[in-house]
Amino acid sequence: MKSRRSRYGVLRRWIPLFLLGTVSTIALAACPPNEADGSLLTSGKLQLAWRPLLQGDTPVATTAIPMARHFALAVQLCEGRMASQASLKRIDATMPEHRHGMNYQPRISPLGDGRFRVEGLMFHMSGRWQIEFEVQNGNDVSRLLHDVQIR
Amino acid sequence: MTCHAFCMTFRFDSSRISHLACVFLLACTWGAQAGEADFSAEEIARIASHGPWPMPSMRDPGNRVSGNPAAIRLGYRLFHDPGLAANRKISCATCHQPERGFQDGLATARGLQHGIRNTPGLWNVGQQRWFGWDGGHDNLWSASLRPILDPAEMGGDAKRTASLLRGQSELDCLYRHAFGKAPDAGDDALLANVAKAIAAWQETLVSPATRFDALREALLRGDGAAVANHAPALRRGLRLFLGRGQCATCHAGPLFSNGEFGDIGVPFFVKPEGVDPGRQGGIKRVLANPYNLLGRHNDDATRNNATATRHLRPEHRNFGEFKVPSLRNLKYTAPYMHNGSLATLRDVVHHYSQIDEDRLHSDGERILKPLHLTESEIDDLVSFLEALSPETPMVIPGPPARIDSCRGFARRSQGKADAHAASVTSHVSRNDR
Ligand code: HEC
Ligand code: HEC
Repeated sequence: MKSRRSRYGVLRRWIPLFLLGTVSTIALAACPPNEADGSLLTSGKLQLAWRPLLQGDTPVATTAIPMARHFALAVQLCEGRMASQASLKRIDATMPEHRHGMNYQPRISPLGDGRFRVEGLMFHMSGRWQIEFEVQNGNDVSRLLHDVQIR
Repeated sequence: MTCHAFCMTFRFDSSRISHLACVFLLACTWGAQAGEADFSAEEIARIASHGPWPMPSMRDPGNRVSGNPAAIRLGYRLFHDPGLAANRKISCATCHQPERGFQDGLATARGLQHGIRNTPGLWNVGQQRWFGWDGGHDNLWSASLRPILDPAEMGGDAKRTASLLRGQSELDCLYRHAFGKAPDAGDDALLANVAKAIAAWQETLVSPATRFDALREALLRGDGAAVANHAPALRRGLRLFLGRGQCATCHAGPLFSNGEFGDIGVPFFVKPEGVDPGRQGGIKRVLANPYNLLGRHNDDATRNNATATRHLRPEHRNFGEFKVPSLRNLKYTAPYMHNGSLATLRDVVHHYSQIDEDRLHSDGERILKPLHLTESEIDDLVSFLEALSPETPMVIPGPPARIDSCRGFARRSQGKADAHAASVTSHVSRNDR
């Protein structure tokens, strides 16, 4: 009897945590994207939201990426209210005025529901950087560009 | 706004008497006195990014004895011990001389053989991402192991290292303390451990704040009087550094380095007929090194500290690129550049002023243009660079505290340590000649 009650006690403690987990995944995969998903780019029906994450996955505004420090990206692809079936194929960044790109090769991991995580970016100089997202949807390839100013 | 009162004298003659008249004029300029006017909010924000100094100290997650007192003392002793070298005459301190900002004053290093690169100073060495002019190492301990094993520098090996440790009871005791086992030449971790101890000591080398840091603090406090106390040449030089010179694009942050690589047109030919491939070779070296952060000697189980190494991306432009060096403490570390080819800070500023664009890679930086500085602008930039070194020579760090349980041993081996110190000094003077 005693042991059963304690087992129930454990369950009671875990239920809210479990619920919280589902709620937050739904929130992350929410389409259309909102401010919490970062900056928004569109190409036709496709919407791409991206958000930089610093060490320890601390989110920062796309205007506040620090210079010469590695960061990751959370990317969300949507089509209206639905998660997009398209996939993020490539991501790169260049300094058009300096005619060079990054010193590091980012890697993309698909997380499902139109979500992707990109690791290993670094903007090693101050100035204008142009990020390019290459998204493939069937035979369609779209390139979405975003300029950021690094100080 | 700055205003000046002038007295303009007129001479006019009335009959036979000359009169001098003084007319006071008030001339006002709106911040037009180039370089000496107040810094703009934008400039202050950029100046702020070059501090605070010293930076908060952080342990190296890849080195489990980072911050460990026994390891720090062991590292100090080994750094000064020529017993690690094949000829028992060269220690780290032979080339990294504490009284010279931990370098040797030579254009290129001289160990068992003549080297092709300039010995870098070691103040603040722990704060970097890449080590060596080509970034051939991704962590401080593997950069510290290279010279021990390099046949051109010290030519040591595991056997010699283990017998050095076993032969001096304090070293043996410190090693056991730090690593929980006896030094053993057959132990695969021996060399990494020794290098980690030397790294733990080098991490303690943090240089003091400078005149630049004081100016930065005054600007952030909004203390105009304290700002005005700094030499106008320094302030003009700082403005040039951030502005027209575009120096801070690469020499960024508190260390005045973005920690990455660039080609600024320093020749990379090596006599008699070689080239130094710079970063291109560095990427190959770091990936081939068993002591890199992807390997099993990295003590950070999460491997979060290996992001840079994991994402390395070789590019054609890496050929002839070298690490952007920190600009702190340069007063003590002449000559300059990866090959020690420029003798003074004035020579360096001349180099940027007259930079030969044909020497830069066709796909290289587009931000480097000859600056065509005037002589007084060159003076200003040099004044600014000098303000990044402490004014009084830096205090040479003494031996770290003894470890209580290795204390008895310390006394017995102290005589030996002094003998080593003497041999280091004699080697230094030989280099000088
Ligand atoms: C023969 C002279 C010589 C000796 C002896 C020597 N070094 Fe060096 N050290 C150099 C040179 C030259 C470089 C630059 C190497 C390069 O760019 O590949 C260097 C680079 C380094 C670096 C990288 C610094 C940076 O800012 O990138 C560290 C750390 C270092 N040495 C530590 C040591 C330690 C520890 C020892 C002793 C175990 C030692 N060195 C012995 C000449 C020497
Ligand atoms: C494109 C990036 C870049 C820019 C811009 C740049 N530097 Fe450098 N700087 C470097 C690199 C890379 C080196 C090392 C080159 C070598 O050894 O071949 C260097 C070396 C130096 C050194 C020698 C330091 C030492 O320890 O040997 C000084 C001093 C210096 N730079 C000052 C300046 C000043 C002043 C400016 C602006 C006029 C400037 N730099 C602009 C990349 C840059």
